[in-house]
Amino acid sequence: MQDKDLVTIILEGRIDSNNASKVEESIHEKLSGKEPAKVVIDAEKLEYISSAGLRVILRIKKTNPDLTICNVSTDVYEIFDKTGFTEMMKVERAYRKVSIEGCEVVGKGANGTVYRIDADTVVKVYNNPDAIEDIRHEREVAKLALILGIPTAISYDVVRIGDSYGAVFELLNATNFSKILNSRPEKFDWCVKEFAGLLKTIHATKVPEGKLPEIRNKVIHWVKFVQEYIPKEAGDKLMKMVEAVPEDDHLIHGDYHTKNVMLQGDEVLLIDMDTLAVGNPIFELASVFNSLVGYSEYNHDTLIDFQGYDYATGQKFWHDALAAYLDTRCEAKIREVADKARIIGYTRMIRRTIRRKGLETEELRSEIELWKKELLALLEKVDDLTFHINELNVEADVKYLEDVQFFIEEKLEAVGCPPKALMQINVAAEEIFVNIANYAYHPERGRATVRVEITEEPGVVLTFLDKGVPYDPLSRSDPDVSLPAEERDIGGLGIFITKKFMDDVNYEYKDGQNILTLKKAL
Amino acid sequence: MLQINKETSGKGLVYKLSGRLDTITSPDLEKELKASMDGIESLELDLDKLEYISSAGLRVLLSAHKVMSKQGSMKVTHVNSTISEIFEVTGFSDILVIE
Repeated sequence: MQDKDLVTIILEGRIDSNNASKVEESIHEKLSGKEPAKVVIDAEKLEYISSAGLRVILRIKKTNPDLTICNVSTDVYEIFDKTGFTEMMKVERAYRKVSIEGCEVVGKGANGTVYRIDADTVVKVYNNPDAIEDIRHEREVAKLALILGIPTAISYDVVRIGDSYGAVFELLNATNFSKILNSRPEKFDWCVKEFAGLLKTIHATKVPEGKLPEIRNKVIHWVKFVQEYIPKEAGDKLMKMVEAVPEDDHLIHGDYHTKNVMLQGDEVLLIDMDTLAVGNPIFELASVFNSLVGYSEYNHDTLIDFQGYDYATGQKFWHDALAAYLDTRCEAKIREVADKARIIGYTRMIRRTIRRKGLETEELRSEIELWKKELLALLEKVDDLTFHINELNVEADVKYLEDVQFFIEEKLEAVGCPPKALMQINVAAEEIFVNIANYAYHPERGRATVRVEITEEPGVVLTFLDKGVPYDPLSRSDPDVSLPAEERDIGGLGIFITKKFMDDVNYEYKDGQNILTLKKAL
Repeated sequence: MLQINKETSGKGLVYKLSGRLDTITSPDLEKELKASMDGIESLELDLDKLEYISSAGLRVLLSAHKVMSKQGSMKVTHVNSTISEIFEVTGFSDILVIE
């Protein structure tokens, strides 16, 4: 921290009656004319201090009450302790010095590099030379996460590495998921499962109020920045969608990728906790997308440099992990959530790249152009950033009928729905979805949502929602099914079948939406 | 997915349907029937391998039935129990000749 209200005084060698007054003079010189809020005495090179020297410190303390003595060696600490100074003021012992020369780099993140210093210890060396505050923050949030049930490593010691600070962790034979993917491709599916499973655990973890920042506020900043670079209408829509995402008190890691998930023995651990936040999981999925695909969408080699695996592996991992996270094999569902995540992902990448690297080179401009193009295309078709695991939101078009039925079927098969009921529900779903696709928005286009809820009875509740013209399909009278063929009119048969196959069908128009609810006992 | 297997013998026509007869696939069967029904006196739809039918499929069956009742006869064979139930519910079991 380069604080103008902070003055650091360095004490060196021996301070006794021979030089105490000289030392005091030079300190006064340093403090003269200033009224610092805080004085820090760096005692790293202090070898001995006599009572004359201690009196100097007491006098400084009188005029500058917020006084800290840091980097105190063991011998000098003993003097401060015996004379009661440790009770009068803040006296901090010197940090242990650790060398990382020749040590293996086991990880590299935005804030620092992790080195293995021996078989069961690693040290995270922070880039920021004044990282004490960062380290304190990370330790605090990591401890919070651990208490909330997230498996993570907590540093037990702060050390000096040259002019930097480091946090020491115990990590026995741990390896990260990027390394596993690179060295043991046969573990791909296992990595996907564990990666998605841990992410689900994180997102299911409630955080007590006020402990962590809401990530949406950060995203709003990104959007403000990106608005300068995209058409106004698109920028406004983006902001509206982000603001519409409800606040959420569930945990977000903030930098979830395959290097930050470790395997230690048979335990999967989360590291790099300094970005912990709370918020809607879509914001997390955005950064998962970026790390696996987004950052290397323009230049595929970026991923090899970053994670060690190639672009195709990154794409497959993103797809499969998202499928596992959403507990679905329904491609339309995976695409729905991926599209939402990508909107936030591109927003973040555009801002980050422009801020960090500018738009100076042709290559940077082309990369930004690619992300902008993708972002604008997504903004055309998506109008809501939230998602639910038991809902599928698709364009209301018969070409998605198969996806809708697959999505429903998958949920029903998971609870052992008998084949006959399955087919009846499928028929009902077709009739309703096709109705929406053909009439709700005609001749415009729009979207439809189907929600599948399994109830305890056991039974299923299917809900179809669309924002098209208000229309109650139940208002139509049932066809006369006793008429001979020549007189039969085929209209209304679909909804009639639906009513016959389901136990209860209910329509309402609410908040600008047609809501049709179908219930059936299983 | 709908697979349509066609067997012709003189003025008789047999279609073996397998898969799904739904909104997406019904137009295929409709087209196929329109193109082939001219001069046909007996039409059989074998539903042995048909797994699924919705109102869109029923619509195609009904119009085929209407055409055939003018120029000959139509029957539906090998109907499984779930599809049979749809025929029951919609009154199609009274309209169609089901064997």
